[in-house]
Amino acid sequence: MTTIDMSANRRTLLKAGLGLGGAALLGTIPRRARAAGPDKINIAFFTETSPSAIAKGNGWIEDVTKAKINWIEVGSGAEINTAVAAGSVDLGIGIGSAPTAAGLSQGIGYQVVYIRDNIGPAEELTVRTAANIKKPSDLIGKKVATPFGSTSHFRLLGFLKTNGLTQHQVTVLDLRPDALVAAWQRGDIDAAYVWAPAKSKLLAAGGEVFRTYDKLEAAGYVIADLIVARTAFAQQYPETLVEILKAENRALDVWTSTPDKAADIIAKQAGVTPEVARADLLEYDFVAPKRQLEPKWLGTPGHPGRFAEVLQSTAKFLAEQKSIRSVPDLAVFQKGINTAPLGQALV
Amino acid sequence: MTDSRSYRWLSVLSVAGFFGAWYVVNAAHLAPANLLPSMQEVWAALLDILHNGYRGTTLWENAAATLGRCLGGFVLAAIVGVPLGLWMGRSPVLAASIDYILQFMRPLPPLSYLILLILWLGTGDTSKVALLFLAAFPTIAMAAMAGVRGVNRQRIQAALACGATRAQVFRHVVLPSCLPMTMTGLRIALAVTFSTVVAAELMTASNGLGWMVFSASQFLRTDIVLLGVLILGVLGMALSRALLSLDLWLVHWRGRD
Amino acid sequence: MQHRIRLRAWTLLSVALLIAAWLILTWGGLVRDLFLPPPDELWDGFVDLATDGYRNRTLLEHVEASLWRIGAGFATGTVVGTLLGLAMGYWRPVEALFAPFVEFLRPLPQLAYLMLLIIWLGIGETSKIILLFLAALPVSAVAARDGVRNVRLQSILVARSLGASEWQVFRHVVLPSALPEIFAGARIAIGVVYGTLIAAEIIAGSSGIGWMILDAGRFLRSDYVFVGILSIGLMGLALNGALVALEARIVHWAGR
Repeated sequence: MTTIDMSANRRTLLKAGLGLGGAALLGTIPRRARAAGPDKINIAFFTETSPSAIAKGNGWIEDVTKAKINWIEVGSGAEINTAVAAGSVDLGIGIGSAPTAAGLSQGIGYQVVYIRDNIGPAEELTVRTAANIKKPSDLIGKKVATPFGSTSHFRLLGFLKTNGLTQHQVTVLDLRPDALVAAWQRGDIDAAYVWAPAKSKLLAAGGEVFRTYDKLEAAGYVIADLIVARTAFAQQYPETLVEILKAENRALDVWTSTPDKAADIIAKQAGVTPEVARADLLEYDFVAPKRQLEPKWLGTPGHPGRFAEVLQSTAKFLAEQKSIRSVPDLAVFQKGINTAPLGQALV
Repeated sequence: MTDSRSYRWLSVLSVAGFFGAWYVVNAAHLAPANLLPSMQEVWAALLDILHNGYRGTTLWENAAATLGRCLGGFVLAAIVGVPLGLWMGRSPVLAASIDYILQFMRPLPPLSYLILLILWLGTGDTSKVALLFLAAFPTIAMAAMAGVRGVNRQRIQAALACGATRAQVFRHVVLPSCLPMTMTGLRIALAVTFSTVVAAELMTASNGLGWMVFSASQFLRTDIVLLGVLILGVLGMALSRALLSLDLWLVHWRGRD
Repeated sequence: MQHRIRLRAWTLLSVALLIAAWLILTWGGLVRDLFLPPPDELWDGFVDLATDGYRNRTLLEHVEASLWRIGAGFATGTVVGTLLGLAMGYWRPVEALFAPFVEFLRPLPQLAYLMLLIIWLGIGETSKIILLFLAALPVSAVAARDGVRNVRLQSILVARSLGASEWQVFRHVVLPSALPEIFAGARIAIGVVYGTLIAAEIIAGSSGIGWMILDAGRFLRSDYVFVGILSIGLMGLALNGALVALEARIVHWAGR
């Protein structure tokens, strides 16, 4: 496997080769001191209502790693993939399983180290009540919006496929959650596959849930939010990674034991009201750390769990969609899951 | 023709009319409140951001980040583009070797290669400044080149015949005649850079006015979006005015020949 | 003539060097295909896009969709902008009325108000074209205004003293001298419209070359992204060339 981290030489070569002379003047290659822990960690995160926001909001990651954390806000898993490939992100928190399956297939040098949540019904098809959509074929001739490249997009296409609907019959539009809500309020679309808080806004504005997730999960369209670590980072600083996962576990404990307190902290981070945060959080099935190590999910070192198969079947679907070129063997996905740090975090 | 000052009251009136119309539309509920926030709401959003900041960043910090990126990319592009363009104007060989690359790059929408720059240069300010550099650089270089090519050959020959050195010819004949074109190129490039700076903040940014607008639209905070648009517009106007004054001051002979 | 051939040789040499660098970087294994696709992958990607297409549309159909939007936005924007600019240049009160808005709009980043256009005009073609229209309008307005302003006062006075009516002065003196600047403005406008294309296609895309690049970029399909950039770059060259040719036909007196 080729490493993604480009050495200083390669970087310079690439830039020179492309005539980016001016930009090269600015390029700085971070050099880390070879100490026990890193001085600086680049963490990509989403602005979302999840327990991870507690660890971030309370400064726990800074505390346990004693490093300077460079928080990089991203809007999609694709940005995390790009940033890890560029070597400027060490840890991606909350990346969806669909972009992760794509990233592992493309040889992006990161590993899944944690399943934060099984998305389940938290991302679901919402239809306009007035459009009277009761069965899948009612969607024919309708416009359905979803953010392309997301786990929701993956589910929606899976839904169409398992129900024998084509994208010629149903118009699938690429809209970011915010634009999607605006389009819904204007009456431009009749259905949308999306997550909270956009989903709750649709429901409040004349929408109803069209349940698809249970059948789709049974058919293998499982989606989850994960934490990925750059492979080189995980190898160089295993203890740091363990400490970060411990902090993540603590954050989950706060949510399970004191939901009101958790919702307050998370709401402040996400810029929503505590009530909204709480309602959103209740939709997710946060996978307890012990459960993650079961064969159904990540498994344990030497005994890969079934989640590798989920990632591979996701990748197969993405390849059919031409989002990625090819799908590697199951072994690649199994190697792409590293359960050692989580195991240690639980000791 | 009359002095433009005597009509200034008309400009003031039309701007006032615009704000008046905005007020009336909201006050008379002609547009749904979630589509068009009222002036009071935008004003309140401004005060709130001035007072409490936006998601942990102050307005000044965001404006400084955006302006810094914009000027960084622009100045770099000028430092590289102007000499290169002047040189290309003088050397047909260099022009033949590079011109097609500039021609190809100039119309490219910067958003089309943003993802590649992040991939190559990382998520930091390097990739953002590189994006702005690439957006501005071809325009500047091509304007400078066109400026040199437009220099009247007879004048150069006349100067040389009068015993001027090559350096003197460049300083007193070539530079003054290609300066107007180069300055125009710089002004267009600044406009390009400014309209691209928001694109640069579309991905992996955590400050800047563009980031503020995108982040606010994520939560459908149209008041903040509108505020951001107003601030960006005023900033853009100020920037282009500043460069225009510089142009008029530097090229004081413009239009006279 | 020989001089020209020699220069052409330099261009070819530079192209050859660029291609050689690309070959060495990719096939030499210095850069992964994720960062820069090698020629064979690029070709495969192109063939695949051209024949089988991307998300239910072929490359040509994506190009068509984009060209249509560019054409509509550019045409409406420059026509309205030029008329407005002519009026602004000719009548000071008109200028005073509109200048604040034109100057505000001109440097305003289109992406910033994209969200507002979506909530006001929806996600269809209208909002995409309006965005491009708003990008072209101020540029052409300013160019036309400056064009009229730079008309020599003498020529106007001479025409008037010869008994020309106001309309005749405008038609035969002002307009011809302003045309070169109007065209220069049109070329800048098409550049701006072009640069805004991807922003426009962010709005509920499912077609268009700009949207294709964005969507392929999400999965780091560098081969598709590069095919897209090459197509969009060549399209831009062609459009600019067409405008230059048109200008040469209409404004044949420029520079004289």
